[in-house]
Amino acid sequence: MPLITLDPTNGPLGSDAASFEMAGRPLTLAGHTLGIIANGLGQSEVMFDALADQLSKWDDLAGSVKVVKPSVAVAPWPAQWAEITEHATVAVTGFGGCGSCSTRSMRDALDLEAAGIPAVCLVHTALVPAVRALCSLMGAPDYPFVIVDYPYNPTGNWTVDECNALATQVLDGVRLRLTASGADQ
Amino acid sequence: MTLQSDTLLHEDYPDAVEAYFENGYTDGLPIIPPTPEAVESMLAAAHLAGPEVLGEVPTRNVTVTAEKAAVNAVMAGCKSEYFPVVAAAVRALLQPLANCHSTTATLAGSAHALIVNGPVRERIGVVSGQACMGPGFRTNATIGRALRLVIRNVCRTVPTELDRATFSWPLRYSFCFGENEEYSDWTPNHVLQGYSPEDSAVTIMSVMRLLAAIEMAPESEVILEMISETARLYGLSVDSFVGDARGIVVIIGMEHQRRLLDDGWTKEAVREWLFERMTRPTIGKYDLKVNLAEPSRILVIAAGGPGIAESRVIMPHLAAPTHEQVR
Repeated sequence: MPLITLDPTNGPLGSDAASFEMAGRPLTLAGHTLGIIANGLGQSEVMFDALADQLSKWDDLAGSVKVVKPSVAVAPWPAQWAEITEHATVAVTGFGGCGSCSTRSMRDALDLEAAGIPAVCLVHTALVPAVRALCSLMGAPDYPFVIVDYPYNPTGNWTVDECNALATQVLDGVRLRLTASGADQ
Repeated sequence: MTLQSDTLLHEDYPDAVEAYFENGYTDGLPIIPPTPEAVESMLAAAHLAGPEVLGEVPTRNVTVTAEKAAVNAVMAGCKSEYFPVVAAAVRALLQPLANCHSTTATLAGSAHALIVNGPVRERIGVVSGQACMGPGFRTNATIGRALRLVIRNVCRTVPTELDRATFSWPLRYSFCFGENEEYSDWTPNHVLQGYSPEDSAVTIMSVMRLLAAIEMAPESEVILEMISETARLYGLSVDSFVGDARGIVVIIGMEHQRRLLDDGWTKEAVREWLFERMTRPTIGKYDLKVNLAEPSRILVIAAGGPGIAESRVIMPHLAAPTHEQVR
């Protein structure tokens, strides 16, 4: 006998999401202020500091402003969000290596884009499927990000040397995603 | 009543069961096909309208309505009269301090304990005694499963996708039990949380670790010392988001409770004693401070049956225990 049943989900991922648009990208990072929304996982703060140093050295970044969230997988406190959005003109989020942490960091990046601030999230390769799912939920399935691969540990428990090496490794990707030259690649 | 969910048409009942597997709507076990009539019956039992919002997962832009919770409760095998408990559990899970996004998407694969208090236990048959944490009881099994199916289907916590748990664990199929309020005159958990004894309420507690504290000695202080040592094996860190609301759950087994009752211990005295011991400074790798703000953040629950002199300790993920009245 035919049977009618009900869909237990809210529909396909992103079916009720608002339309998403990336913020406009500058041609270069020269003179810009880098916002850093760190989730506090492992040694990610050290890595972000090294990244900011390298962008200042090679890209004439004007400066940086960093917040460390109250917990690894939550939004920044309102005061932290205000600090970033008032001062930063480009931003980076992460890292990133836990499942809920990575997806929340991606949400931070998408929120920054919605606020008009070009952003990029650093994501470990182990967490790419989760981040893709979050992007789809938010109506941004093709939003680009920078992938960190092994041998770096997914949960950010790196040595200082590894932090510096990782900052160097992601430098080109961050530059590419935050500027007009790479936003559509 | 007008339901909003998209409908699916099947040739017959077995075809419907298979379709839910194929669509990725199950936890790996067969479901009861959620017909509109069954869903309406659920909603009526809880006096809820389908569009009523039970809560949200802000990071995911997810809203959970009563209708979607009811669909998943049918799938889990719940009777209609269970649905008020399921709805309360969903509300508790979606309170901000339950940190739903974090506790359901973490690599650590934390689960959730759903603890039921009050007269509803007797009314619908929530088991709080022998074997209450295991299989064999429709009420416990299906209410816990309904919560997990909501987490999967509505909150989008699909394993290998948004859910990247490294191992995950069996508690994620279902983990629901009641407090044994009848065995003693200990103040029930929900009364300690501010509800009246005539109310029914649920507590949602994220479960990072479920630890066994086995102690055969008859002395109450030795039993409590073992419980404290068990919690201190892992300790509890400070988390700025959860703040002073962070807590742990101590489930006192019947044999331990009998000893404590004989010696005149109340719940309030138990948690005061445990608080003093658990919050002592860290002294070693396996003797870690349990960072709690006050004794009331140790939720002492009586449950389980006679037999092994065992209690259990639930250590949380990055979330606080939350409570909701069963309406």
